[in-house]
Amino acid sequence: MAPSAADEPEVALNGTASPETDGMIATRAHYAPPWADVSIIGIAGSSGSGKSTLSHAIVNKLNLPWVVILSIDSFYKSLDAESSRKAFRNEYDFDSPDALDFDVLVERLRDLKAGKRAEIPVYSFEKHARLDRTTSIYSPHVLILEGIFALYDPRVLELMDMKIFCEADADTCLSRRILRDQRDRGRDLEGIIKQWFTFVKPNFEKYVNPQRNVADIIVPRGVENHVAMSMVVQFIQQKLLEKSTHHRAALTRLELEAQSAPLSDRVIVMKQSSQMRGMNTIIHDIDTSSEDFIFYFDRLTALLVEEALNKVPFVAWNITTPQGHTYAGLRPKGEVSAVIVLRGGAALEAGLHRCITDCKTGRVLIQSNVRTGEPELHYLVLPPDIDKHEAVLLLDAQMSSGGSALMAVQVLVDHGVRADRIVLVTYSAGRMGLHRLTKVFPEITVVVGQVVPDIEERWVEKRYFRC
Amino acid sequence: MSDVKPAPTQCVGPDYRSESQKPTAAVSAGVEFDTVTILPQTPQLIALLSIIRNKDTQRGDFIFYSNRIIRLLVEEGLNHLPTIEHTVTTPVGRTYDGLAFQGKICGVSIMRAGEAMEQGLRECCRSVRIGKILIQRDEETSRPKLFYDKLPEDIADRWVLLLDPMLATGGSAIMAVDVLKARGVPEERIFFLNVLASPQGIQNFATKFPKVRLVTAFVDQGLDEKNYIIPGLGDFGDRYYTR
Repeated sequence: MAPSAADEPEVALNGTASPETDGMIATRAHYAPPWADVSIIGIAGSSGSGKSTLSHAIVNKLNLPWVVILSIDSFYKSLDAESSRKAFRNEYDFDSPDALDFDVLVERLRDLKAGKRAEIPVYSFEKHARLDRTTSIYSPHVLILEGIFALYDPRVLELMDMKIFCEADADTCLSRRILRDQRDRGRDLEGIIKQWFTFVKPNFEKYVNPQRNVADIIVPRGVENHVAMSMVVQFIQQKLLEKSTHHRAALTRLELEAQSAPLSDRVIVMKQSSQMRGMNTIIHDIDTSSEDFIFYFDRLTALLVEEALNKVPFVAWNITTPQGHTYAGLRPKGEVSAVIVLRGGAALEAGLHRCITDCKTGRVLIQSNVRTGEPELHYLVLPPDIDKHEAVLLLDAQMSSGGSALMAVQVLVDHGVRADRIVLVTYSAGRMGLHRLTKVFPEITVVVGQVVPDIEERWVEKRYFRC
Repeated sequence: MSDVKPAPTQCVGPDYRSESQKPTAAVSAGVEFDTVTILPQTPQLIALLSIIRNKDTQRGDFIFYSNRIIRLLVEEGLNHLPTIEHTVTTPVGRTYDGLAFQGKICGVSIMRAGEAMEQGLRECCRSVRIGKILIQRDEETSRPKLFYDKLPEDIADRWVLLLDPMLATGGSAIMAVDVLKARGVPEERIFFLNVLASPQGIQNFATKFPKVRLVTAFVDQGLDEKNYIIPGLGDFGDRYYTR
């Protein structure tokens, strides 16, 4: 088993000044999200040996959104006209490693290992070609790569944490293959059998079977093999636990580093004018009616968003007034969009739309694990052109330790949003969370309604949504 | 047009950006009166003003963006109301040392452009009472003349937010304050909320009423021969209601 890179410390001060900030000398702390070092498990075996069934059974058993399956079938090469004709006559060898595009596979796996989003090609077995669209994989903690040649390419093996070889007798394999190819891939019986004896069987001996030599475990009888199943599941659970422990430890370490530093000048705390304090008083009062709470919260968040919009880039714009005079004004340099950190961030949407009625809004659901407090990414939809927007407002109602804000910013950065274009808008924030966040991302701007001394339960969204 | 001064220009944007990263724009002229508050000349405010000043802006956008400015004016105006210390318990059991608003308020709009500011007022103060004053230019004397007023009975006990988006010569605003004073409202309880003012209007108004507080978004360069504000934004009421 390959040693896990997760054993290395995930937080390090590299002591370099950040290039984007003009002349600002800042030591940047490093944050590694739990998906930055995805564990990869390879499951290889003969066609029909139950790889895919086993993978799905494992994923179902774990039932976590960050354990995903990647089928090596997605990486079949698109066929040229000649090969395509062969393929339709069942004379093309799909069971040789040459049919697969390992270069692209390795590239995508390396992207995922680096915590980036990876676009996975979609291969059509009916057309024998890659389709124009891709599916994307982002932020898995554990990835199961399954396919007849999952353990074939040495570059892929190098990235793997566990290698499994599935075994089944040839009769079982052939009968499963007949059923599958008829049902899912629109082939006829004669073609399937022709393919089996021309390609599948000889290739198994030549290429597939030797993979058992590099496997960590060999699983006979596939999904019926309960002992093997629970071994694999346990291994993955162990990996997930390690990742979670490292992630939490990293967050704690950032916390300690952050305590002594002064707040960055990019953290803008709303001026506590008498109206601001008066509204805060009504919002904080446990005896305030829901109607009043929502009214004053909306009023206050509109002001937060107005303040945040002062931090987006503007360009000069000369206009002519109805009397024909010119005025040297300004306009926003480009599109400003928003990303809501669910569920709390949705409480700021009314305020957002008072300022930008048709603001494009992405949504990301980050939940703190009830047992460990670790933030976990559950759901993510972003505007497709978000990397082109001049500014992205990241909205959350409250930020206490800053764990989920850190993760949300990381998600935006992973999607090509420059950190200096991100403006985090939050009603209230803990001092330590602010330090931690701006230590890792010194270029982001934060607009905060009020700073509270310590970690606080998320009460604002409970009051706003009344549950 | 000797009383039109060039507009001051400066780089606008957050403090943490260097001058070279901030665009230059025309900002409000300064004033010498302590009772006059000009909204901070933020890039966003300048951008909002640019939209409503632009002759090509459609009515829907004019309404939306002028409302955003008006809300900022109301928020600033309300900051001058009296408060008392008020401590509350939060839903998580912490105590919060806050403030409670004191005193009753009401709005008074100078028809018709002032009525365009009522929505912004209501977005900050939900069920606020709103009185109205109609002042028009007398054709014979060309002086402003009071045609109609309907004000809350107890206005003398209230803080009054007087609404008129344009302050050119100050004729109607001065007459409106006179009406309020005649109803028993002392000057120090009147706030005049205004989007765009001329230096002359400010001068006339603030000299006449040294205790009335005036909150404006922008002081422009001056007035033309027809007493229109320069560079101005056209007729506010027309652009909001009918054009």
